[in-house]
Amino acid sequence: MDRPPVIFQKRLWGVALALGAGLAAMPNLPATPESTPSAPVNLPVVARPPAEQPAPGLPADAHLNKTPPRKTIGLDLVKNGWTYNCMECHKLFVAKWHYDRPMAEHRDVTLAHGNNRFCLNCHHATNRNAFVDYDGGEIAQADVVTLCAKCHGTIYRDWQAGVHGRSNGYWNAVLGPKTKLRCIQCHDPHNPKFQPMPPLAPLRYPVRAAHPPTESAAAAAPSH
Amino acid sequence: MNASPHNTVSPRTIEQVYRPLTRRTFLKGSAAAMVGVAGLMGALRPLLELEHGTVTLDELLQRHYRELKPADLRRIMDQLAAKCETEYGVHPHLRDIRPLANVEFGYALNLTRCIGCRKCAHACLQENNQSRADATDLEMSYIRVLELNKGSINLETSRTDYDHATVPAKDKFYMPVQCHQCRESPCTKVCPVQATWREPDGIVAVDYNWCIGCRYCMAACPYDARRFNYQKPTIAPAEINPNQSYLSNRIRPKGVVEKCTFCLHRTREGKYPACLEVCPTGARVFGNLRDSNSEISYILANKRVYILKEDVGTLPRFYYFFDK
Repeated sequence: MDRPPVIFQKRLWGVALALGAGLAAMPNLPATPESTPSAPVNLPVVARPPAEQPAPGLPADAHLNKTPPRKTIGLDLVKNGWTYNCMECHKLFVAKWHYDRPMAEHRDVTLAHGNNRFCLNCHHATNRNAFVDYDGGEIAQADVVTLCAKCHGTIYRDWQAGVHGRSNGYWNAVLGPKTKLRCIQCHDPHNPKFQPMPPLAPLRYPVRAAHPPTESAAAAAPSH
Repeated sequence: MNASPHNTVSPRTIEQVYRPLTRRTFLKGSAAAMVGVAGLMGALRPLLELEHGTVTLDELLQRHYRELKPADLRRIMDQLAAKCETEYGVHPHLRDIRPLANVEFGYALNLTRCIGCRKCAHACLQENNQSRADATDLEMSYIRVLELNKGSINLETSRTDYDHATVPAKDKFYMPVQCHQCRESPCTKVCPVQATWREPDGIVAVDYNWCIGCRYCMAACPYDARRFNYQKPTIAPAEINPNQSYLSNRIRPKGVVEKCTFCLHRTREGKYPACLEVCPTGARVFGNLRDSNSEISYILANKRVYILKEDVGTLPRFYYFFDK
């Protein structure tokens, strides 16, 4: 065996497969019932994945497009249907601060987050399902806001006050609930600068925008 | 007995006094009469519309909104809803939503965060049932997103018709402008028929059935926040927002002025306005000015706030602020 066996878990089937050397990962193998969860027992617990946050806003507002700016959340493996349990691979791949070769996996990660040059600036060294706190402790994935607040204290203060980032739902807590978008629903944590986006079409207003003068009419008009 | 000079009557004066019917005077008189008859017919024209059924009796008589009894109000709401169903094919959930007690709305917009994507302006069209089915319609969104050059807030060099591939464009910043719901609102002062007024929660509202369409308020507004319905709105039935209120987003008739109401059909039920709900950068902050713990109070207490055209003394409830 030139490579160690790798354990994958498919989100829908909950199948854990040990694959030998030379075998490709095959996610479409026969399904087993969900009643037999066969996840390895010694893996750390995964908090609710960020990709499965509740939809912002109220269902009655279907005519408004409230999609958060960062539509797809997660690594390429997650987009292909794998779970977010990083430790399924990383309990075998030991974390290092510095890699002397380009990464073979996580090619979709472009790290452009200020001084943070290393994965372990944010990710926990021994539990990749969690982030690292000031004291080396763990911050659960669901509490990613706490991780960002380690450096971005003023932004975190504004976010808590409801002034940074978007809120949806009810402004009046008595009349209904409010959902707040969290950091990574708008910012890519690896490249947090807000990306430019195409604007919607200019409005046909005022009248000169809706009905621009024709060339003949413009030529006939007296020029000043 | 000599005739007194006072009794001498010149023939010319007699002609002036008796005014014989000449061709000239006959034509003048008949022309004046025709103008009079035409004016009378024009004045009575609504009666003709009443007979045809395009206008109801209550619309014709224009009984004032605030004087209505609850039963009358319900009847008028039903009539307006039925009219909407007849003309647009959708039965709206039309209500008269009253202001909340101890609430004064305030709105703040973060100029540092806004990227000019126009999502708010288009959401305004969808929420407020603006005319847009016809490709020649004016899209009278209550929000105009101005693109300004960095360095100063110079509205004269701003433009609304920018169309870049992506925003924000280099060396530009963006300032959405909508109704500022002024405490000293010039638009309500100039209305000759009191069809527009300030509500207790600060919203400047328009009674579309009372507005005569003179557009004085549009001339008075320093923020260009008001829109005029030059024609009957056209909306596809699938795009009509059925959640409607008398003073805000019910489909307007032709010939009346409309404006932003901070989506009062949403905000008076505790929800956020539509433009805030869709903002991708979270640049918009809405809340209750009388609640010291609200988001808008936090802005006013902690941020650098800018008031557009503060020198005209309108005391807006809409604030711009800057962030780091």
